[in-house]
Amino acid sequence: MTISWIQASILGIFASLSSMPGMAGSTIGNYTLGRPLVGGLVCGIVLGDMKTGIAAGVAMQLVYIALVTPGGTVSADLRAVSYIGIPLAMVAIHAQGLSATSANAADLAKSMGTLVGTVGTVLFYGTATMNLVWQHMGWRAVEKGDFKKLYAVDWGYPWISHLFFSFIPTVLMTHFGSSAVQALKTALPMDGIPMKTLFTVGALLPCVGIAILLKQIVEGPLDFIPFFVGFTFAASLKLNLVSVTVVSLIFAMIFYKLDMAISTNKQPVASSSGGAVIDDDEEEEDI
Amino acid sequence: MANTEKKVLSRKTLNRSFHHWFYGHLTAFSQEHMQTFGYLTSMLPIVEELYDNKEDQEKAMKTYTAFFNTEPQLGTIIVGITASLEEARANQVNSGSDGDVDDTTINGLRAGLMGPIAGIGDSLVVGTLIPVILGIALGMSDGGSPLGAIFYIIVWNLLGYFGMRFAYFKGYELGDKAVGILIGAQGKAVRKAIATVGGMVVGGVAATWVTVKTSFRLTNSSGKAYLVLQDKLDSVYPGLLTAAFIVACWWLMAKKNISPIKVMLILVVVALIGVLLGFFNPGLTY
Repeated sequence: MTISWIQASILGIFASLSSMPGMAGSTIGNYTLGRPLVGGLVCGIVLGDMKTGIAAGVAMQLVYIALVTPGGTVSADLRAVSYIGIPLAMVAIHAQGLSATSANAADLAKSMGTLVGTVGTVLFYGTATMNLVWQHMGWRAVEKGDFKKLYAVDWGYPWISHLFFSFIPTVLMTHFGSSAVQALKTALPMDGIPMKTLFTVGALLPCVGIAILLKQIVEGPLDFIPFFVGFTFAASLKLNLVSVTVVSLIFAMIFYKLDMAISTNKQPVASSSGGAVIDDDEEEEDI
Repeated sequence: MANTEKKVLSRKTLNRSFHHWFYGHLTAFSQEHMQTFGYLTSMLPIVEELYDNKEDQEKAMKTYTAFFNTEPQLGTIIVGITASLEEARANQVNSGSDGDVDDTTINGLRAGLMGPIAGIGDSLVVGTLIPVILGIALGMSDGGSPLGAIFYIIVWNLLGYFGMRFAYFKGYELGDKAVGILIGAQGKAVRKAIATVGGMVVGGVAATWVTVKTSFRLTNSSGKAYLVLQDKLDSVYPGLLTAAFIVACWWLMAKKNISPIKVMLILVVVALIGVLLGFFNPGLTY
């Protein structure tokens, strides 16, 4: 399997659309085209092997199932994962002669994709930095009261940033990377230490994705309880995800009602004439 | 000069403003001004309709040059709220009265809502909604079927578009009344409820889609295994090793402030040592 210039160019356009500040907007771009599952579908169609594309996309999606970018700090920009990592992983799966739906193919996809995906962080900061030029032009326009120019600044000029930091890197890396991946087969035997390590890493990486999300939700040790209850439902009771979600709703309802009951009970006491007395009592207890 | 006729934004203008935000909130992203330009382009149609003379337009647009960044999907509600506030300000200007909406109130409100909305949005949209739809889609695509990917594209985009649209118009309708709802006691209770759903769903996603297994076993002289570590661990708690690795990654990132990329590199080292010791073996052949 090789990747032609035309195929590489199509992947380059998708990379421009799908990055975190992508040209398709975050709902259609980052959160749709940028998801490795969707990237797998696109790459599968472009490279003419949908089954391998989807299988690689499913595997990669697990690593990045929970990609949160709090305050614009980016741990991974998915344009490189979905449109450089997946195509190269597909080539690697073919080169190693693995069955597309096997667990080994999935592990290979994960480690290949994640390895290449780290490039995404560089591309992200490149794009964001180049956008400063267009923003500077925007500020000048605002000062002059030439507001129509804001549309060009927001929707037009950033394409130039993406030409340099999405399109060109994707085209070059997918086109030339595919022959490098082919050569890998002869250089690294499957039962050698490097390949075994690469596959093991692939199985471990999704833990990072889940942990990133937990970081958002967990503030104290008690916040781990919902996570482990959900984990137990799926691992021990074999419930599927929709079932887990349905069960979780009852807990959400209880917590909501409880919180509302507590806050409505508090207010009348605090605002009544007896409030001051109670406040005094609390202060004494604190001492 | 005073014009007593009350100005009301047309549906067409509100729609334009919403679509400018829906598309352009992040396209001109930089580390310095993240969503500021997206905000400017979505306020422009509103300002143009409300103010006839250029000077008033410039004055109004200056308000939105302040830094802005939040979770973009749920954050649409803030754009809706400011559209309503701008309308109120325009009516003050036209009637010549000294009202209570000015630059400071609008920007104070924007700055005050950015953080809480980002918190709720991250756990609601990125933490719960997307993993749940993706989790269902992953199951449908197991075995290389495109069905799951197509399912995700359709469901997420419908929810994303109409959800953001709802948030925008709800924000416009409620105006500054929305603030109390979003960051008051009810907002806090909703946030806690969402975090509970999020936590349980993430647990389910982890148990369903992440598998860490050890190949470590002890065999007797005839080659029969008398200790298979993976089976022993699973008899204590199914998925114990997977859960332990996830908690370890969380601990490194949350408690030791190690970046996700570095945690990934640590896992490479752990994998190499594990392979050398025979703890991990993916069991590969050509």
